[in-house]
Amino acid sequence: MMRIDEHPILGKQEEKRVVEFTLDGQIIMGFEGEPIAAALKAAGVMIHRYTKKLHQPRGIFCAIGRCTDCVMVVDGKPNVRTCVTSLKAGMNVQTQFGVSAKTQTGEV
Amino acid sequence: MSKLKERMSGIGEFMSQPDDQLIICRCEEITKGEIRKAVHDGMFTMTEIRRYLRTGMGLCQGLTCASMVKRIVARELLISSMELEPAVSRAPMRPVEMKIFGNEEKEVK
Amino acid sequence: MERYDLIVAGAGPAGLSAAIEAAKRGLRVIVFDENEKPGGQLFKQIHKFFGSKEDKAKIRGFKIGKDLLEEANKCGVEVVLNAIVIGLYLDKEVTVKIGDGIQHFKGDTLIVATGASENMVTFDGWTLPGVIGAGAAQTMMNLHHLKPGNRILMLGSGNVGLVVSFQLMQAGCEVVALVDAAPKVGGYGVHASKIARCGVPFYLSHTIIKAEGEQFVNGVIIGEVDSSWEMISGTQKHFDVDTICLAVGLSPMSQLLKMAGCHMKDTPGGYIPECDEKGATSVPGIFVAGDVSGIEEASSAMIEGRISGIAAAEYLGFIDKEELKKSIEKQEKALISLREGMFAPENRGRSIKKTEEGIDVSINLLKKGYIEETEIERFPGFTKCKGVHPVIECTQNIPCNPCQEACVKKCIKIGEKITSLPAIDETKECIGCGMCVASCSGQAIFLVNEEYEQGYAAITLPYEFLPLPEVGSQGKALDRSGKEICAAKIIDVKTKKAFDYTHLITMKVPADMSRKARFFVNSRRCEDE
Repeated sequence: MMRIDEHPILGKQEEKRVVEFTLDGQIIMGFEGEPIAAALKAAGVMIHRYTKKLHQPRGIFCAIGRCTDCVMVVDGKPNVRTCVTSLKAGMNVQTQFGVSAKTQTGEV
Repeated sequence: MSKLKERMSGIGEFMSQPDDQLIICRCEEITKGEIRKAVHDGMFTMTEIRRYLRTGMGLCQGLTCASMVKRIVARELLISSMELEPAVSRAPMRPVEMKIFGNEEKEVK
Repeated sequence: MERYDLIVAGAGPAGLSAAIEAAKRGLRVIVFDENEKPGGQLFKQIHKFFGSKEDKAKIRGFKIGKDLLEEANKCGVEVVLNAIVIGLYLDKEVTVKIGDGIQHFKGDTLIVATGASENMVTFDGWTLPGVIGAGAAQTMMNLHHLKPGNRILMLGSGNVGLVVSFQLMQAGCEVVALVDAAPKVGGYGVHASKIARCGVPFYLSHTIIKAEGEQFVNGVIIGEVDSSWEMISGTQKHFDVDTICLAVGLSPMSQLLKMAGCHMKDTPGGYIPECDEKGATSVPGIFVAGDVSGIEEASSAMIEGRISGIAAAEYLGFIDKEELKKSIEKQEKALISLREGMFAPENRGRSIKKTEEGIDVSINLLKKGYIEETEIERFPGFTKCKGVHPVIECTQNIPCNPCQEACVKKCIKIGEKITSLPAIDETKECIGCGMCVASCSGQAIFLVNEEYEQGYAAITLPYEFLPLPEVGSQGKALDRSGKEICAAKIIDVKTKKAFDYTHLITMKVPADMSRKARFFVNSRRCEDE
């Protein structure tokens, strides 16, 4: 369980609405308004995308929207930085292959 | 041709190293070996390297790899990294979608 | 296009401080920040700051951020978030991406306070998911209440590596090792001691050879390097980890200034604009403040921000040269004081052998992260008295003095020069209130009573973890290196608002352990291992 229930200095996290979203079709729960990457991390997801040339796995690296390693296809739009994009109910998140919204087999 | 030869004199031949496979530019997946080889192909400035290899031209626009590429190029040129002029800094400072770049707001919100 | 007296790029400690000082003198100020929340790095800092009262010592970073924001709002400063300054042009015109459009602004003066970005280090497997920056770990833990992983290896022994390692433990993670290629610890000794006494092993002169795993990190191999950074064969060590955290330094993010045409210089500390002591660059009307002009601390960033905000006001004629001189005199003095001591910029790279008082520094502290028992007696904070008394294990000259202010009985003395080592005044009587223990930002003060009971000593130490031990719990005491040395029983637990989440736990240990025992773990935890 990656979420911190009670932090020795920060206490408990402020109440947030729990919402559903999907990752590659699977339903995952997260807090409304938290970064998509945070909800994925809490759910144990490590891989966000595979690179274009060498098909290597990438995940969160800088977590502040600079390195662009955490980008995924969100609601059909590719290259969305999941670490600085807020989660909304019903979001459709997909593992990104390369730099476009095409799937592994080349479909959009 | 002689101008190229002039530039290249003194830096020696390209010798492969054990860590040439290391990825340096994460966005464009360019390795250390490719950067080093580019210097021996005659690319001596950061701007040339960027245009030749696309290091620093990916999604993060060089925020992650710029210093490392500079260090590698400098070492290959047998000079200190501080003697090498960094690549030109231009707008936009962060990746911006073309449709937003083209949406200049006349009135300040 | 809207025109402002002052445009500030960056709403971190430097940017906000600059905006406040300028607004106080009548300037119309707007601040842009690319993040969702202002405060820069401040909101990720959950530890108590060092320095003096004026530098907000003893206060946790996120509280300083909150106070700065409130002050900025009170002064009428406009702060626009999710606003990226994407271009800075010669006539002090900026283009800003706000929402789905680009807006133009003109500033009569401009202050660039865009801070720094993390340095990179490469090794086989460094692009695997599970390798993260130290800033990423802090963002996940302190902003999003998430553990970055369960078993972490930290690379880097500067203040960032040390402080984030402690924060990782506070978040419930295990830090299996702290590694640095340098031969000695780069950050404050007290930060290192905090994690060494919890059992985190230090591997100096070591570097990462490989991050293992196919799809994500599941292990790491490190090896020792010699003085020419060459790997020594046969020194490889393997750790099971799911996260590797990189804390290998920061570099100024000065691209905007280069774009604006400022004269720049490449230094070992990064590519920075040439500027004077007021932060004025070579382009009239463009100033810099904070990490973007050279990596220091948040405290220095705030002072530099104030100075450049006041300088911008003078540049535009809102105040005259006399007032400028008077206003920044106090700030400059404070800045000089922060830049003194063992970690002063001028001392970087130098090997300091003695403290300002002439005492040999602890070599073990620099090599292993903790003070050897034989070394501790040299220092003025270490004394033996009848009854309960403080023992201060602060052995390096750093600008910091909350302990002196904390003691109502005046037992602790530092003096005018705040880099002096704290000393105990043995003529004063300690009442055992524990304020000094809770006030020390480095958690380096303990209360010791060598004669608590026949054959037993009592030691009070600062404790910032959960779960908090209960009175009566049996466990083990650890020494400064994190080794279990004896049985210990908790006899008191104090939690007070004035302590600001630093709980005080008192443990009873055999009397001959009074100079060694410095941390407590519950028996239950020992059994699990």
